[in-house]
Amino acid sequence: MQGSPIEPGQTARAPAGLQHQGRITITVALTLMLCLLSSLRVVIEAPRPRQLEAMSRAVAQHSDQRFAELRRALPGRGVVGYVGEAAESGVADYYLAQYALAPLVVERSQDHPLVIGNFPASQPASPPATVKGLVLVKDFGNGVLLLAKEDNK
Amino acid sequence: MAALLAVVLCGLTGFVLVCLAWPQPAPLRSNLALKTSLCGGCGLGIFSLVFFFSPALSLSRLMLADAAVFGVLLVVLIWSRTRRSAEDSVADERVAVDGPGGRIRPALGTAFALALIASAYASAVRAVAHPHGDGWDAFAIWDLHARFLFRGGPHWKDGFSPLIPWSHPDYPLLLPAAIAHFWRYLGSESWIVPSVIALIFAFSTVGLLFSGLSILRGQNQAFLGGTVLLATPFFVEQGTSQYADVPLSFFFLATIVLLCIHDSGMRSPGLLALAGVTAGFAAWTKNEGLLFLGAIVLARVVILARHEGWIFCGRQTLPMLLAALPVLLVIAYFKVRVAPAGDLFSSPASLWHKLLDPARYWATFQWYAKELLRFGHWWLIPGTVLLAGYYFIVGKEVGSYEDGIRISVLALGLTLAGYFAVYLITPYDIHWHLRSSLNRLFLQVWPSAIFLFFLVVRTPERTLAA
Repeated sequence: MQGSPIEPGQTARAPAGLQHQGRITITVALTLMLCLLSSLRVVIEAPRPRQLEAMSRAVAQHSDQRFAELRRALPGRGVVGYVGEAAESGVADYYLAQYALAPLVVERSQDHPLVIGNFPASQPASPPATVKGLVLVKDFGNGVLLLAKEDNK
Repeated sequence: MAALLAVVLCGLTGFVLVCLAWPQPAPLRSNLALKTSLCGGCGLGIFSLVFFFSPALSLSRLMLADAAVFGVLLVVLIWSRTRRSAEDSVADERVAVDGPGGRIRPALGTAFALALIASAYASAVRAVAHPHGDGWDAFAIWDLHARFLFRGGPHWKDGFSPLIPWSHPDYPLLLPAAIAHFWRYLGSESWIVPSVIALIFAFSTVGLLFSGLSILRGQNQAFLGGTVLLATPFFVEQGTSQYADVPLSFFFLATIVLLCIHDSGMRSPGLLALAGVTAGFAAWTKNEGLLFLGAIVLARVVILARHEGWIFCGRQTLPMLLAALPVLLVIAYFKVRVAPAGDLFSSPASLWHKLLDPARYWATFQWYAKELLRFGHWWLIPGTVLLAGYYFIVGKEVGSYEDGIRISVLALGLTLAGYFAVYLITPYDIHWHLRSSLNRLFLQVWPSAIFLFFLVVRTPERTLAA
């Protein structure tokens, strides 16, 4: 070959421009691939269709459905007390009760004429020993109790 | 029927507000993608304000109020289009057709479409699986406040009582009031309302990011930015959680996109005013929004005063402040007349002690560093690390709106610094507080960070042609 810059035995090197284009193309492709991998995670970690029914009822079962009858027995507004399970799950139970019973304000205190007892785990038939000075007004079943102060009943 | 009317009124009200602010004499259908992305959030913001002042109204009167607001805005829009002189128009979305940019567009578009389909599927399934939200804050704060607004009638303020611990009665009411507004139209507390509102904010954020980048940097960059956001698993999870962090991220992004478009040369007081409205709505969504509003105004003043002088700075900031003022007045009324004091400053005596405790600085800094490296629940490589690598290889290129970018970056930096200060003085256990909330605070700025990133980094077509 005439005027070839390549010596016999040597391989041709790609011009710098092509190397740069290749690097950028790989970078963009890799970025898109890693994004799509995370999108795949989004799909894989989404709830399965067969789980939907049970999951969709979880909050309603522990709030609106659980306290529907109690809500009818309580005044439309005002403040009532609340006592529940001592375990950590008791905190979620309280907020679910408040969510169900709005616009009634539910305070985590026994110092009210009416007090809601919410014991989904232990489901006592009468106020537990930890509850002092309250008497049972009505048992709505499933651990839902309406209590009143002894002197108010 | 009533539900459909509510949806149409809400959307149209938002659209008319956006068009009112748009530079003239652009046709109403110009920049339709951006306007559509903005109108959902703006409409919900206006709806929330209407309901806040009239929670006890009957349905017919509420419909009248909504129609009146829409009517007034429409009349002003029609009047203004006949009176205003021509301004610079907002450029249409840019599409790279020829050259290397045109050749890679199908790949970028395909990746964006796949990410969109994946997140739409996951969002729909999550919305059905969690009709009352995914996590405590949904039923303990946002939806609870909506129930008090809807059920409480004239006594709705009972729900903003310090007797309900951790329900944040000082949190503003954009989301709860918007939800209650639609419930009033339906006459019931349908779970579909908060779920759909959450989805509107999530996908409007994607649309806003895409259309903003399209206008300023071209469609390839928009596909990239949109794909990164859609591929963030934490964004998709929180998008359906019925928390307020994704709606807040929408209003942060809207403010920044509008200001960047304005500062790119399309200087219109209308765009500044609309940015003021969205910043105001951010403050009406969550307390962090107030911090952001202060940060964006401060950043704008600092940078514009330094580069262009005080008079120019005043002209560029005043429309924004004036437009945010009505929403700020509503927030002030809410804070003074409805909400009890927030919990952040509940023990002022210990504030100084906390601010001088180096262990708190170190703990917060460590969490910031950890969260920066693992944010988003990405697979294999965190999105932040991925973008850092992308920047390192592709490089930087800034257009004619360096001030806009500097202002936005400074505003986000000030916002994150503000969050840092909040953790320093938190009345709660600092480790618990960081663990339970820092990732959501980062999520609030993530869409804006992606937007600014792809404003600054070189476009694929430019990089390939170089």
